[in-house]
Amino acid sequence: MDPIAFFTDPLAYDFMRRALGMSILVGAVCAVLSCYLVLKGWSLMGDAISHAVLPGIVIAFVLGIPLAIGAFVAGLVCALMTGYLKYNSRVKEDTVMGIVFSGMFGFGLVLFTKVETDQHLNHILFGNVLGVTTADLIETAIIAGGTLLIVLAKRRDLLLFCFDPNHARAIGLPVNLLHYGLLVLLSLTIVSSIQAVGIILVIAMLIAPGATAYILSDRFERMLVIAVVVSCGSCLLGTIISFHIDGATGACIVLVQAFVFLLAFLFGPKRGLWPLRALLHQPAEIDGSKSANGTASKPGSTLPRGLNGAPQDFVDQRR
Amino acid sequence: MSAFLTELLVPFSYNYMWKAMWVSALVGAVCAFLSCYLMLKGWSLMGDALGHSIVPGVAGAYIIGAPFAAGAFFAGILAALGMAFVKQHSRLREDATIGLVFTTFFALGLLMASLHPTSVSIQTIVLGNILAIADEDAAQVVFIAVVSFAVLLFVWKDLMVTFFDETYAQSIGLRTRTLKIVFFTVLSACTVAALQTVGACLVIALVVTPGATAYLLTDRFSALLFIAVTIGAITSFLGAYLSFFIDGATGGVIVTLQTLLFFAAFYFAPKHGVFASRRKANATKEGSTQKDRTAHKPRALTGSV
Repeated sequence: MDPIAFFTDPLAYDFMRRALGMSILVGAVCAVLSCYLVLKGWSLMGDAISHAVLPGIVIAFVLGIPLAIGAFVAGLVCALMTGYLKYNSRVKEDTVMGIVFSGMFGFGLVLFTKVETDQHLNHILFGNVLGVTTADLIETAIIAGGTLLIVLAKRRDLLLFCFDPNHARAIGLPVNLLHYGLLVLLSLTIVSSIQAVGIILVIAMLIAPGATAYILSDRFERMLVIAVVVSCGSCLLGTIISFHIDGATGACIVLVQAFVFLLAFLFGPKRGLWPLRALLHQPAEIDGSKSANGTASKPGSTLPRGLNGAPQDFVDQRR
Repeated sequence: MSAFLTELLVPFSYNYMWKAMWVSALVGAVCAFLSCYLMLKGWSLMGDALGHSIVPGVAGAYIIGAPFAAGAFFAGILAALGMAFVKQHSRLREDATIGLVFTTFFALGLLMASLHPTSVSIQTIVLGNILAIADEDAAQVVFIAVVSFAVLLFVWKDLMVTFFDETYAQSIGLRTRTLKIVFFTVLSACTVAALQTVGACLVIALVVTPGATAYLLTDRFSALLFIAVTIGAITSFLGAYLSFFIDGATGGVIVTLQTLLFFAAFYFAPKHGVFASRRKANATKEGSTQKDRTAHKPRALTGSV
């Protein structure tokens, strides 16, 4: 197929233009958040909050308030409840998190079957970016834009909080405010993404770009830029691919992101398994020495690393 | 009054309801058994990750007409290997690695289902549909659950020693490596079974919540297992029964019941409940209960057996 037509064909349709705008918007805000989550070790917090918004959406529908508000409140309830239960019992944090979000999700499903809504469950779960209206787009733009502005304005404070909360407290940053602020921003991001990718795949959007950028860069500002570029690019490409193969859009976006991560993981310049630069430069060095040795050392240079660190005992590590 | 009673007994007069209730109870029981280990080891999110990762396997199996359990198992193993590989070769934290791999697998399953909408119902996979389970699928689930339960009953003590005091386990001659492989095989098999009853998204509840509830009620591991299995079986049976009256969402009802029980235990548990510790705090007139409670964490369990 003509490569230019591949990109321009979808643009002939109104709904595709809106879908592309929506997915890029969501991609950008998720990417910025994902950098903080990856550093903080909160990747699964996104998992928990995104599942937990389901009952909020149904209740908001019943009460006749905007669905985004219901979803946001439910997300916050999940985060606060996790903290409360963990503080007041001897159950571990990850367990508490699992109980709370699965309980809320289950309850949401029960509510959903009992309440007549005009929402399709599949659209909430997996997104429906092709059915985005202009009003949806404006709502998402406001939520995502606001979130993005706050994060970028406070990016250094949030970074210090994620890296070293004790230091942040010592120099007088309001650590609790940052903690809950980040949770609020996370909930807002998830709410704004529901339409585009749904509550299950937003987890991927909140992990993959940050993880990709993290293995490519050591500097945080650069990490932010890489994450946003990777994420928006994947959203664009994923949406277009889904148009051509007639598949689920959210799934295509996530798979493109995963593919980009895989590329970075394998060929990343510094920490890749087979760094691209080394692959390109190796032949020149081989010419100088022995060529037979050189070709053998290509896999050899990576293999011992894996073997030395090898049977890492998963169990021991966790104890 | 008698009309009301007859109404309550209606589900028992349908064959498919009997099947759904017994299969759910069986799966709930064996998952609850596993939950005791997962919860104490801090592996709760493994259940979530496995539940999502097997979706492409199930979708693929339905597309080519293979037994769903085989496809699910294959996908689960692939995901586990992927996680181990990424974790070993990058500096990413474990939670990010797990999240990355399982969401990718899930997206793959979703894409496969969206490309073959006639042979796969993604809603069935994600939300479960035990009320309309096909006979051969039910047979697979029962087979998995019974075999897993038998294996667990046989090795539960060895597993406990292996997971909570590995050095000791090795010194008394247990094959800890084999035991771990057995455990994870059983776990993935049960995830596959749970997928059929409550769906991919709620698998985590079955393999976490009963164990955590029981953990608030007892300090002995054998009692923990017993309470958890009882809770898992009863809530699953009851959940399937109640879902008859709301026409679906079996998984949702089961999980809601389990969560409600957890909250009941959280507040009213005789020793570890919130109210009990508040009373204790009042009695001693000290604010140090917080420390007391966190001080004797899982250690108490291993010591007592």
